[in-house]
Amino acid sequence: MIQAEHLTKEYKRVVRREGFLGSVRTLFSAQYETIPAVNDISFRIDEGELVGYIGPNGAGKSTSIKMLCGILVPTSGRVEVNGLIPHKERMKNTRQIGAVFGQKTQLWWDVPVIESLRLFRDIYKVPEAQYKHNLNMFNDLLGLHEFQNTPVRQLSLGQRLRADMAAALLHNPRLLFLDEPMIGVDVVAKEKLRNFIHEINRDQKVTILLTTHDMVDIEKVCSRIMIIDHGRIVYDGSLAQIRNQYGKQRTLVVEFEDDVPDFSAPNAVLKKSEGHKKWFAFNRFETSPSTLIADITSRYPILDLAVEEPEIEEIVRTIYQGKPEALATETK
Amino acid sequence: MKTFWAFARQNFHATAVYRLDFWLRVASTPILMYGMRWLWVTLYTQRPGAFGVSMQQMVTYAVLSIAIENLFYTGPLYYIARQVKSGAIDSDLLRPLDFHFHMLARSTGEMFFRIIVIALPAMLVGYFLLDLQLPATLQTGFMFVVALLLGYLVNFHLDFILGTISTVTLDIHSIDWAFQATSRFFSGRFVPLWLFPGALGILANILPFRSIFSTPLSIYAGVLKEDAMLQALGFQLLWLMLLLMLSRWLWGRVQMRIVSQGG
Amino acid sequence: MNGFQLYFRLIQISLLGHMQYRANFIAGVLGLVFWNVINLGLIGVLVTQFASLNNWTLWELVFLYCLWILGHSLYSLFFSHTRQLEDYLIEGTFDQFLLRPASPLIQFLGREFQYTKIADLLIGVTGITLAYAQLGLHWDVWKWGFFMIAVISGATIVWAMDLLIACSAFWTGRSRGTFIIVSPFYGLVHQYPVDIFGNAFRIIVTSIIPVAFMNYYPSLFLLDKLDRAGSAWWLSYMSPIVALMLMGIVFMVWQLALKQYTSSGS
Repeated sequence: MIQAEHLTKEYKRVVRREGFLGSVRTLFSAQYETIPAVNDISFRIDEGELVGYIGPNGAGKSTSIKMLCGILVPTSGRVEVNGLIPHKERMKNTRQIGAVFGQKTQLWWDVPVIESLRLFRDIYKVPEAQYKHNLNMFNDLLGLHEFQNTPVRQLSLGQRLRADMAAALLHNPRLLFLDEPMIGVDVVAKEKLRNFIHEINRDQKVTILLTTHDMVDIEKVCSRIMIIDHGRIVYDGSLAQIRNQYGKQRTLVVEFEDDVPDFSAPNAVLKKSEGHKKWFAFNRFETSPSTLIADITSRYPILDLAVEEPEIEEIVRTIYQGKPEALATETK
Repeated sequence: MKTFWAFARQNFHATAVYRLDFWLRVASTPILMYGMRWLWVTLYTQRPGAFGVSMQQMVTYAVLSIAIENLFYTGPLYYIARQVKSGAIDSDLLRPLDFHFHMLARSTGEMFFRIIVIALPAMLVGYFLLDLQLPATLQTGFMFVVALLLGYLVNFHLDFILGTISTVTLDIHSIDWAFQATSRFFSGRFVPLWLFPGALGILANILPFRSIFSTPLSIYAGVLKEDAMLQALGFQLLWLMLLLMLSRWLWGRVQMRIVSQGG
Repeated sequence: MNGFQLYFRLIQISLLGHMQYRANFIAGVLGLVFWNVINLGLIGVLVTQFASLNNWTLWELVFLYCLWILGHSLYSLFFSHTRQLEDYLIEGTFDQFLLRPASPLIQFLGREFQYTKIADLLIGVTGITLAYAQLGLHWDVWKWGFFMIAVISGATIVWAMDLLIACSAFWTGRSRGTFIIVSPFYGLVHQYPVDIFGNAFRIIVTSIIPVAFMNYYPSLFLLDKLDRAGSAWWLSYMSPIVALMLMGIVFMVWQLALKQYTSSGS
């Protein structure tokens, strides 16, 4: 579906000089620096995959997505979407992709949702039967009929996002880009949206690329994640793998009967201490929970304990911070 | 004073990155100045000494008018309206700063920046290229500055009042237009008020708008002297007092309203 | 859906949106009328007190002023949002145009429909009518035809100029500055006959920012003032040519701008 090879995008930017005199000098003779926003990335996404695409701000996410959409021409490298080169055949490519931007709606602000949908139907030349069928589907899965006659400006954020989803899928695109679609949405609406994304992907085999900062989205929805940082793909693989590979750490949470002074246990690090509870982090390959528990219980009586797996968020954070064994792209 | 400099400096940095934009802004004023010079040269060639004013004085008046007009676009009208609309007014109200003073600081900071970057260069261009005369005496120059400041304050408060009213009516564009248009007509900016016939002339003398342009410009060009000048300054002061009181009172009412309604 | 159909549908949806704000319409219209009355009032005061402006009488000046408005109002009725192109680029709205299987230019042009500008159009029509009567003009069919062409050319010229300048945003990120520097030229040519200004100015508004073709040059012909053009009398007829040239230029620049935008992003 998507094939990217050594994709690179460089920008020229004015060098901002320090201080007042610096600003004056910039006025007369600006200097430029070349910044690689996307630096030699390669990956392949097959049809029907649901990929999470994450990275810190400024990592190159939106730049790479723009290249996939054909909005941006790569500096070097090659990208193909369903056999088309996006920037060379932009208009043709637009018919097979859809996009939802969490920050900005694609709909017309002051008119009822259905009017925007009608116009999209005509722009994308969606056959009437398919249009009606899709509307019904959106009614079922998104509850579109509740607000389809309301102007977009009066919709709640959750409703607006649902409407945007409908608009993006109206023409049955094979590929769907979701750019932080659930920012600011309440938990209940998020759950519905996640389910919708799941259904679309499963039933209609729509390939989905989900950009998000919310790790729960990733965990609940995606089977594969790609992490981009400083323009490079630092991880590309399944969630399970990432946990195995990087999730060496476990945390033992112990609740003591009484207040207990902080202490250190062998092969474990005390991470947090709150009231009667203490959090001990340990490497599961270096020591087993039972050893640790035995050691701790021999010192003080305990009330309760639990073993926690690391959150994806923490793992990803460690990766952002640059692990030396940053993984190259997985080949399939 | 610190706040003033902070605002001015911040503005300068922001514009330095978009270099073209900055220079073009500075360059646009002389074009209008040029236009006004030619307009009055044409008119006064047709009728020299009309209305007891020389061509030199008139050209000075008109060219200077354009040089300083940018100083008056720093009013709080849009800021207030925008803040209320977006709800961000709450953060303004939370600050331990009198709102009126806060607005004045912002606007004045912007104004100083414009004096340095737009007005002074424009006046230089006017002087060297477009027959803008220097004030007759140092005293004239000084009184001009006084009148200019007073005019600025009058304009600021008119703007502030309208901004306050707009928070209630929620439509700033028409209010702004009406205000700009009226001010344009009665401030003496493009057509000096001594040209206004009959009833229009009387009306122009009563309204506060003449304080903004007509008074300082007339003083500079030497048209308003001695007693007449003092009268005009007194008129400015009077209106300023009035508008200041009205501003504070109105804002007090509106502020209560915002706070009680939740923005 | 071809270009025209798309444009029409976009206008429809824009109008639908505007219908929501009916109160603003009246306020907008009143504001516009007021503004123009003030402007004309100022010119009126000047001319009455000085008898004429370089041998342009009051009603000739009204004609000049309103001829501009006619062309400009047609433009702003449909395309007043042209100057906002830089905002569309910054906010990502333009990217959305590129994501759809339709011409980005048409999507941009069809984005808004400022029906409040109909007030400007009415002011223009009223002014011309009054001036026509007051000046005792009697145009034959050729002059009427030329008048129509002049108005449409005027609209085209200002549309092309504004779009050209707006396109600079694709390269520099901002077009506001250029609009600021060009606006005084627009304003001066709109309100005053170009022959009161110096040579430099006249050359600029004839060849670089050719807005003199919106009202001044056609007026020379329509008001029988060709004598003051001297050897350059042919300029009076050039409005449609200038309009076509500018249209050609702006289409070329737009293509270049798209290329630039997709290669450098934002």
